[in-house]
Amino acid sequence: MALIKDQQLSLSHAATPHIRFADWLDDDLVISDAVLTNGADDLACLLANANKLSVIAIEFETFADGRGFSMARMLRRDGYQGEIRAVGDVAMDRIEFMHRVGFNAFELREDQDALQALAKLGEVSVHFQPSADGKGPAYMR
Amino acid sequence: MYAYNQFDQTLVDQRVDQYRDQTRRYLAGEIPEAEFRVLRLMNGLYIQRLAPMLRVAIPYGLMKSHQLRTLAQISRTYDKGYGHFTTRQNMQFNWPTLESVPDILADLAKVQMHAIQTSGACIRNTTTDPFAGVSADEIEDTRPWCEMIRQWSTLHPEFAYLPRKFKIAVSGSSSDRAASQVHDIGLHLYHNEQGEMGFEVLVGGGLGRTPVIGKTVRKFLEPQELLSYLDAVLRVYNLNGRRDNKYKARIKILVNAVGIDAFAEMVEAEWQFTKGKDLRLPTAEIERVKGFFKPPNYLSVENAQSSLKAEMAAHPQFAKWYKQNTRDHKQPGYRIVVVALKNQLQAPGDVSHQQMDGIASLADQFSFAELRSTHDQNLVLADVAQRDLLSLWLKLTDLGMARANIGTLTDMINCPGLDFCSLANAETLILSRQINETFDDMDYQYELGEIQLKISGCINACGHHHVGHIGILGVEKGGKQVYQFTLGGSASNDASLGKTLGRSIDQDQVVVVIGQILDVYVQQRKTDETFLQTVRRIGFAPFKERVYGTHQRSAA
Repeated sequence: MALIKDQQLSLSHAATPHIRFADWLDDDLVISDAVLTNGADDLACLLANANKLSVIAIEFETFADGRGFSMARMLRRDGYQGEIRAVGDVAMDRIEFMHRVGFNAFELREDQDALQALAKLGEVSVHFQPSADGKGPAYMR
Repeated sequence: MYAYNQFDQTLVDQRVDQYRDQTRRYLAGEIPEAEFRVLRLMNGLYIQRLAPMLRVAIPYGLMKSHQLRTLAQISRTYDKGYGHFTTRQNMQFNWPTLESVPDILADLAKVQMHAIQTSGACIRNTTTDPFAGVSADEIEDTRPWCEMIRQWSTLHPEFAYLPRKFKIAVSGSSSDRAASQVHDIGLHLYHNEQGEMGFEVLVGGGLGRTPVIGKTVRKFLEPQELLSYLDAVLRVYNLNGRRDNKYKARIKILVNAVGIDAFAEMVEAEWQFTKGKDLRLPTAEIERVKGFFKPPNYLSVENAQSSLKAEMAAHPQFAKWYKQNTRDHKQPGYRIVVVALKNQLQAPGDVSHQQMDGIASLADQFSFAELRSTHDQNLVLADVAQRDLLSLWLKLTDLGMARANIGTLTDMINCPGLDFCSLANAETLILSRQINETFDDMDYQYELGEIQLKISGCINACGHHHVGHIGILGVEKGGKQVYQFTLGGSASNDASLGKTLGRSIDQDQVVVVIGQILDVYVQQRKTDETFLQTVRRIGFAPFKERVYGTHQRSAA
């Protein structure tokens, strides 16, 4: 599966985290710093534990589930510096918005062309909102 | 009005290229149908019963005459020579091809227009009072705030995949002409007891399947924090709104489920993270945007006025039009003119390309080259000097746009219904035709006074029937189109939801029933009492008796 990370095609990268955040939380025997989460998990709890994690994979069960966008934004706002990876129904037409809210890695859906997807980052180069990439809102320019 | 700078232009141009590439990939089979559907909706493109429909954004209803000319040109080039103004102050084209939409968007971008977020589960076009900045009863001009909301909400990366669509309306006058109490968020600009300007924030209003009046979530919001507060509301909604059932996904369902107090606490808790930070609007930015909405160079009162009395005496039809279709203006010597898109021959809100070109020229000549669309599907020339009114009226008459019926029964709101819309259950345009044919006596309409008749062709309520003084909802029953009546709704300051009168009415009986309802009003009203006041005073019994009692007797 193709992965775009830090605005590059990543050829060697860790596999998709398979440990669910809820299991990671419940089971003291699970030792991992990479988890899989989605909009159904307890977000406050995820934020409280984020500093123990180096990879947080946010799953989009369907592309229309926009909760992951706010999750990434809140993780970055809290100062989380690790990897936030979008997994699941992830396509080129959404990764620019994902990038802007704080995702830095994208595990693309099978049918997606990775090079074509890479070119979608920055397709609209100006923004009206502050975003996780540090660019200020329009009125700060 | 607001004019794009290089930044705005770049955004819109790049968005056109982005959508062009999406269309190309869809046509090449590279984007699945279900996914392209969402992408095209975010650009205002629906697939209707007969053809695609493109909805073009008119931010808070404001446009320049040359923009309207472009809309006319688009309707000639890509459509069938007409457009339709909607209840969100936008314009719809009913017959473009899917392949031509990128070209239409490119044409729009040349005149600082677009179709961004005119549909889809995202923040839609912000609407406001069509008399903003000119109305005599205004507290504060809403347009700069609408523009700041427009910018913030445009291509917002976090709020593009909300549980459902999200609509914001802003009102800044003592009378609410923005239907702000039936929006996901309603904002009221006012001065508090300390004399400071701020917003009262309402949340969770809306029509559709579950009509609800919005509730106050914050009594006073410092204007500099407008965006940070909206951001907090949207984030709480995005994370907590229901996604399992699209009929229960609007914010009103969330607000009702947790209760307004708990919802307010959730927003306050989230707001603590964003308040006072990068979304706080700097004074310089507020002033910059306000600078786009300065009053035009009005003539002095002496120069603006004319011998209006003599003109009215010489032209009785003009006098009626003046009384019915013009409104008090802040500026002495000026009037606000409502241009009726409610004649007998066209569907409510429809406008031909000739009319668009014509009205654009009239805006150039008489109203500083600007015009507005209204949520009740008319147009407004906001700054007309009194001395120009007679000439304007004569020219509007030639265009078929001087029908003096604003605020009357035939100034009705109408969704396109089953003639165009794939969601509709029943026809609505046939009703507006029948109503126009039956109630063609204007003197009778004047005598009835203000009546808001609102018609929807399905439960999604695009025609706002719940807030009509008389509301009509088309439904399908056993393969037949029938119509439910509601009475007593209002979208103004005294907002209320109409209640169902009784069982559904057959299509050919709709005008009969309207006549019966009006008869009861005329018989029962007290001096100077409006239709709505009478309904509220006497209740439903007399109307039910007249409508259903008679039916039962005649059927027996």
